[in-house]
Amino acid sequence: MSKEEIYERLNKVFQDIFDDESITVNENTTSDDIEDWDSLEHINLVVAVEQEFGMKFNMNEVTTMKNVGEMVDIILSRISK
Amino acid sequence: MLLTSLSFLAFAIITVLLYFILPKKCQWLVLLIASLVFLFYKNLSIGTIIQALAVLLSSYVLGRQIEKNKETKKAKRYLIIGIAIILGILAYLKYSNLFIITVNHILDLFKVSYQFKQVQRVSLIGISYYSLIMISYLVDIYRGTCKSEKNILKLALFMSYFPILNSGPFIRYENMKDELYKKHKFSYDRLCSGLVRILWGLFKILVISQRLGMYVDTVYANLATYNGFYTVIAILFFPMQLYTNFSGSIDIIMGISEILGIKLPENFTTPFFSTSMTEFWRHWHITLGAWLKEYIFYPLLKSTIMQKLNTFCKNKFSKKIGKKIPMFLSMFIMWVCIGVWHGGAYTYIIGSGIIQFIFIFLEDLLGPIVSKINKKIGIKEDVFSYKLYKTIRTYLLFSISMIFFRATSIKNAIKIFLSIFFYNPWILFDNNSIYKAGLDLLDFRVLILSLIVLFIVEKLSRTGSVREKLFKQNIVFRWGIIYALIFGIVIFGCYGVGYDPAEFIYRGF
Repeated sequence: MSKEEIYERLNKVFQDIFDDESITVNENTTSDDIEDWDSLEHINLVVAVEQEFGMKFNMNEVTTMKNVGEMVDIILSRISK
Repeated sequence: MLLTSLSFLAFAIITVLLYFILPKKCQWLVLLIASLVFLFYKNLSIGTIIQALAVLLSSYVLGRQIEKNKETKKAKRYLIIGIAIILGILAYLKYSNLFIITVNHILDLFKVSYQFKQVQRVSLIGISYYSLIMISYLVDIYRGTCKSEKNILKLALFMSYFPILNSGPFIRYENMKDELYKKHKFSYDRLCSGLVRILWGLFKILVISQRLGMYVDTVYANLATYNGFYTVIAILFFPMQLYTNFSGSIDIIMGISEILGIKLPENFTTPFFSTSMTEFWRHWHITLGAWLKEYIFYPLLKSTIMQKLNTFCKNKFSKKIGKKIPMFLSMFIMWVCIGVWHGGAYTYIIGSGIIQFIFIFLEDLLGPIVSKINKKIGIKEDVFSYKLYKTIRTYLLFSISMIFFRATSIKNAIKIFLSIFFYNPWILFDNNSIYKAGLDLLDFRVLILSLIVLFIVEKLSRTGSVREKLFKQNIVFRWGIIYALIFGIVIFGCYGVGYDPAEFIYRGF
């Protein structure tokens, strides 16, 4: 799967979780850029991403990833295994 | 060893001197020996040695094994065994009576006349802290966020680092390993800064907390005599007593750690300025909250069972409810854990657990509705007066919850609460009555003045370190403030009859 495809699918997950069709994420997007993205929504988001890509983040990654770029890197490393 | 006792003062001075006089490669060993002295002070027995060694050895061996068997089923098994051993020891030493009381209640319900006797068990100081710290050590190795420690003595220092044994903060191995074991140079600036923090802690405990305690203790012990407004004042005093006591002891140990060159995480950031209970708990006992979030709340929320509940509620009700129900269920479990952690009594489970959850739940539920009403009737929420109202409301809510925390039993808590409803406002105005409940007129004046000082310092600390601001001032002002603090503690400190050092409310946990 290419990075572009991942971003495309990720956009849909974000739009669904935050109920906002206008959201498009890029590698620099952080929780500061999306109003409702607090620590609780973060967990919901992570779970939704896991379901979308059929992979798992470990708890360390959940709490330390800093932006969407890092999230995509983890997804890429998992699904390419 | 109480932090305000002369024996602790001697202990701290000797530790700091040896730490900087002996060769630097011995520094961590000095800390280890000091920590063991602190841990076993007046508590050295075969039993206490076994309980500490069991936690240390199991964490050491299982930590190594988890790392060796990474990403296998074995690692998970070792992790579970480790957590079970640590929690088992903690429960045996601290929660046996809670279990016995519960069983007795159940027997009572079924009209069985047999009752189990409560037991007395000696646990080491800081057991509630080092147990959770060692669990986080094992979990972090399992998650791959930290490497296991090869030197068991170094791990022993991490487990027993004496400044954190009295009342936290919770530390994590990954953040502490370099701090604890590396060589630290002596620094005059750090010494001054640390000492000022220690003085500030002593001021909070001896001048404010002890004084508030004299009133609170008198009223709570004689509810028949002191009711109505006496009780209201005691209920309002207690959170401040608890805060100055708890954060004061944190200031003392942080000051010592700073002198040693070891940075610890902050545990309080001016909680009483919070405008909601949710915000309050982000500023009160921060490291406990962080621990629970990291090791209980998030894993729970992310667990398959909660996600299934999420999907079920989403299909049954709505997307929003689907998210909220698992969240609040996980939150409820977390708050019960906080309550249980505070001690083996139902008063703690209710006062520092369930009531806090109810407040936070109601805030989330009613907050949006109140905001809508406010908008409709034109009440502005982003103005000073509204924020002040919310700040006062938060303090009041916390005060009410703390009735349970302070009471000796649930019955006692209800009695305290009911004694509010005795109408005697004249005690505030007849010039004499109020001064008969443990604090005289002079004490009240000192108290009000010191609370103003506390307020100013807390307000200043919201825009950066007060000590840094102080050290930037001219020498006369700087030393004037330091001397005022020293004399304030010496003259107005409450030392009790025959110097009975201040007891620490949070020490028992």
